[in-house]
Amino acid sequence: MLAKEADRKSASTDDESVTIQLPLAEQARLNRERADQYHRYHIEATETEDRQKYPRRFNVKVGKVGLARLLFKEFFKYFGHWDVVFSRPCTYGVFSGPVGGFSPRPDLCVGCLRCEIQHPEFVKVTHNPELASLGDSYMTSKHIATIDEEARKGSVPVRGQGFRGRFGGPGFDQMFTDMSEIVRPSRDGIHGRELIGTSVDLGSKPMRLEFTADGKLLDGPKMMTIQVPFVYTAPPDSVGTGIVPEILAEAAAQVDTLVFLPESTVTAQGLASPNVVPMIAPSKIGNIESHGNGTRMVEMTYWNPDAWKQVKEHPLLVSVRLPFSGDWKSTMMEMVDQGVSIIHLVSDYHGESDDGRFVMDLYQEAHFSLVEKGCRDEVTLLGTGGIAGADHLPKAIITGMDAVGLDLPLLIAMQARLNGDTKSRGAAEVKLPSKLDKEWGVQRILNLSCSWRDQLLEILGAMGVREVRRLRGETGRAMWCGHLEQEAFGDIEGFPGGGH
Amino acid sequence: MGKEWPKPSPKLLEKTHHLMHDGFHQRAFPDTRYDLPEALGDARWTDELIASTWYMAETGKCPEHLNYKTGKSGGGFDKLAFKELAPEQQLSADAEVDITLALNRRGDERVKRTIDVPWYGGGMSYGSVSVNVMMSRALNAKKWNTLMSTGEGGYPPQLYECAENVITQVATGYFGVEEKSIQAAPIIEFKYAQGAKPGLGGHLLATKAGEEVAKMRGSVPFVSLFSPFPFHSTYSVEDHMKHLDWIKTVNPTAMMSVKVSTPHDVDMVAVGSYYAGAHIVHLDGSFGGTGAAPEIAKKNIAMPIELAIPKVHKFMQDEGIRDNVTLIASGGVRTADDIAKAIALGADGCVLGTSDLVAMGCTRCSNCEGGPSGRGCPWGLTTTDAELQEWVQQAWGADRLDKYYTALADRLKEILRGLGLSSVGDLRGRTDLLRYMAGGEA
Repeated sequence: MLAKEADRKSASTDDESVTIQLPLAEQARLNRERADQYHRYHIEATETEDRQKYPRRFNVKVGKVGLARLLFKEFFKYFGHWDVVFSRPCTYGVFSGPVGGFSPRPDLCVGCLRCEIQHPEFVKVTHNPELASLGDSYMTSKHIATIDEEARKGSVPVRGQGFRGRFGGPGFDQMFTDMSEIVRPSRDGIHGRELIGTSVDLGSKPMRLEFTADGKLLDGPKMMTIQVPFVYTAPPDSVGTGIVPEILAEAAAQVDTLVFLPESTVTAQGLASPNVVPMIAPSKIGNIESHGNGTRMVEMTYWNPDAWKQVKEHPLLVSVRLPFSGDWKSTMMEMVDQGVSIIHLVSDYHGESDDGRFVMDLYQEAHFSLVEKGCRDEVTLLGTGGIAGADHLPKAIITGMDAVGLDLPLLIAMQARLNGDTKSRGAAEVKLPSKLDKEWGVQRILNLSCSWRDQLLEILGAMGVREVRRLRGETGRAMWCGHLEQEAFGDIEGFPGGGH
Repeated sequence: MGKEWPKPSPKLLEKTHHLMHDGFHQRAFPDTRYDLPEALGDARWTDELIASTWYMAETGKCPEHLNYKTGKSGGGFDKLAFKELAPEQQLSADAEVDITLALNRRGDERVKRTIDVPWYGGGMSYGSVSVNVMMSRALNAKKWNTLMSTGEGGYPPQLYECAENVITQVATGYFGVEEKSIQAAPIIEFKYAQGAKPGLGGHLLATKAGEEVAKMRGSVPFVSLFSPFPFHSTYSVEDHMKHLDWIKTVNPTAMMSVKVSTPHDVDMVAVGSYYAGAHIVHLDGSFGGTGAAPEIAKKNIAMPIELAIPKVHKFMQDEGIRDNVTLIASGGVRTADDIAKAIALGADGCVLGTSDLVAMGCTRCSNCEGGPSGRGCPWGLTTTDAELQEWVQQAWGADRLDKYYTALADRLKEILRGLGLSSVGDLRGRTDLLRYMAGGEA
C-alpha cells in the first residue's frame, strides 16, 4: 500500500503552487539529502593526551615492612583462597603494578582513601603539594586542573557528590545563575534536539533601516557574527611569537571566532585571515590598509580620537581597547560619542581594575551606562580578564558583556606553567611543553572551546534561554549571594547590618 | 563497557568487611593511634564531620572529641548558631520532646501520615546506588517509621517488603515508573529538579547502566541515560495540576510531594505546587548530592537551601497557606544541627541523602559517576558492580543508619531542650532563636 502510494504522483488540486509533482519516495530522498546537508554548528573535540606530565592529585606512601607483614599473614590465613590473598583495596589500580603495593602507582589514585582507611598502619594518602603549588590566589590549582581536563577530553566535567567548596565567595563566586522548572528549551537544547544559539554579533546593530528615494538600502549594517561568545586574546610577550599565535589563529578559524594578535606578529608570521584581528597602535593606524587576506576587523590598542577619525569610515570593523584604569568610563562614553562600535574592556589577569574593583561590577557599570544613554545595541562590549573557569563566561555575559576574551586559560590548555606575577598583563613567565606542536595545540584549544561552549549550553538550558545574545546584561537571571543572605538572614541577630 | 567482575567469594567478603568496618572504627574513635586521613574532607564535609558521622553510625551517640555540628564552608548553616537559654531555663535532660512530623496538612481524605523524626531519606535511584544500599535505607526507614525515596530508577522488587516506607519518585525520564509501584507508595514524589543539577535532569553514565539497571529502567544496557528536562507535559501550574491528578487517579490514597530546585522564583513555584494539589513541597538546594552532575551546575545554578527556606516560608505565610503544606528542605543538610537550623529558618523537616551514605562509609571522593575504573564507588555504595556492591550488606547498612538516626534524634532533642521547646513544630520559623556568627564559623 505504501509503495503504491509512493509511486503514485500526488494529485494536483485547484492550487498548482502546492501540488507535489514528485513521487513520494523520490521526495523523501530529496528531503533526506537536504537534511544531510544541514550541519548544526559544533566544535570537533577529540581526546588529546597531555604532552607533559601533569602533577598527580595524591601521593601514596606504603610502608614496606607493614605491607610485607600483612601479605605474610594473609598468605597463611587465606592459603588456598587466592582471590582473597591477591585482592587489593584499590579499584583504580594503584597497587596493581608488577610488585603491587611495594611500588604503588599514585598517578592512578583518586583519593577514595579505602587503602588508608583499611590499612592505617602502613598506608598514607596525602595531597600532592606540587599540584597545590600551581597557580596563584586567583587562578587556583583547581581551575588549572579543570582546564587541563577540559582541554584533554573536550567534554563537560561530570562527577558524583555535591559541591565541595565555600558557601559564596569573592569574584564570580558571588553570583548564582537562575534556572526554571518548566521552561524550554532546557536540556533538549543541550543535547541538540532543539537549538540554543551561541553566536554573537560584533559591531553596531542598525536601529532602523534607511533607504534612498529609489528604495535602495542606504547603509548596510557594519557588523559580523562569530559562533561563540568568546574570543582569544593575545598571549603574554614571552610567547607572543612563534607557534602559539599560529595555534590560536588556526583554532580561531576552526571555531569561527577571533584571535587578537599584535600587528607585527600577524605580519611577520603571515597570519592575516578573517579570524585574526591585528592589534594596531594609533600611531600606526594607517597600516590598516596593509592587512588583506580576508581580514574583517582590526583593534586600535588604545583610545586616540585623531587615529579614530582616520578609520571611522573604514570598511573593516575597528575595535578599540580600553583598560580599566583611571577614568575609563568617561573615555568609554567619549568613544561612543565618537562612533566607536566595538569597545574592548580589559582588566588584569585577576579581573581587577587599577583601583582593585572586580570586573563583575565594572561590566555592569559599562553596560548600564550605555543602556542609560540609549545606545546599548549600537555598541559591542568585549570584556577580557579574570576568566578562569567555564562558569565565569555566562556570568560575565549576564553582567553586560556581549562576548568575553580568553587569555590565560588558552595557555593553560596547552599545559603552560605560569611563574611569577600572574596578575599583571604580559608579566607572567610562561613555560610551554617542550614537545608543543601545532596540531596538538590546536586540538587542545578546540577541546577547551568545545567544553566551555557545552557548559554554557548547560547554563542557558537550565534557564530556558534560547540564545546567548539574550543573556547579555540579564541581571535578572543573576542571584547575588549577598542580596540573598540579606533577605534570608537579615532579621537574625548578628547578621551584619541587621537583626534584632 | 568494562570487565564484568564476579561476585566476591565468602572469604573475600569476610576479609573486606572486616578491614572496612575496622577502618571506620579506627578513624572515628579517639582512643586509637591513627589521625584522620590528611586527604579526607572538604569545606562542606570536613574530616571531622565525616569521622563524627562514622562515630554516630557505630555508637548511636554524638562524639565529644570531634566537631559534629558544622563544616567550614564559611556561610549558611556553618555561620548560624542557636541562642541556648541559660541552664536553669532549659528543659531537663529527661523532659519529653516531640520530634514527630505530620505530613498531610491539607485536610483532605488522603493518607494521614506522621513520621517519628522530622526527616526522611532522599531519592537515590537503582543504578546510582545498589539494591543493598536502597534496602539498607528502606529497612531503617521502616524501623524509624519514616520514609525513603526510590529516586528515578524504578522500584526493585525487594523494596515491596518496606512499601509503606518507600516513596515512589516520578521524574522527567519516567525511568522504571509503573502503575504497581505508584499504587504501593504512601507518597508519590514528582521530581521536577535536583539541587546538584538544577534545570538539567538526571544523569546515569553508561558504565553504571548495566543489564539489570537497564532492565529496570526499560533502557538499553551500557548506554548513558540523560533524563530530559523539564517534564515535557508540564509547562504551567495548570499542567502540573493535571500531572498530580493523573497520579491521584492511579493511587487514590497517596500524598503528593513535589521536589523542586531553588531558582529566583522558588517562592512562587512552591505556592503554585500547593495550589496544584501538593501535600509536600520539597526544596532541594544547590549544595545537594548527586550520583553524577556537571561540575558547572553544582553551586553555580540556583541558590543554597539556607537562602531558599525563609523565602518560601515567608511567602507561604503571606499567602495564608503555610499551615496547609509541609515544607521539606534538602541539599546540603548534613547534621542534626543543620536539620534544626533549617526548621528554625522555616522548614517543617528535611531530607537526608549524602549523610546516609557517609554513615555507611562514604568518604566523598566524588567518583560516584563511575570514576576512572568505570565501576563506581570503591566502598560499594554508589555502584551496581557485582563485586563492589557486596561491600555493603543490608543488615549492616541498616544498623549503621539506625544508630546514626539515634544520634541525630538525640542531638535534635538536646537542641530543643536547650531552647526550652518541647516540640520540634515550635521551632519552625523561629529565626529569633538563631545567631549569625559574622566573625567566624558557628
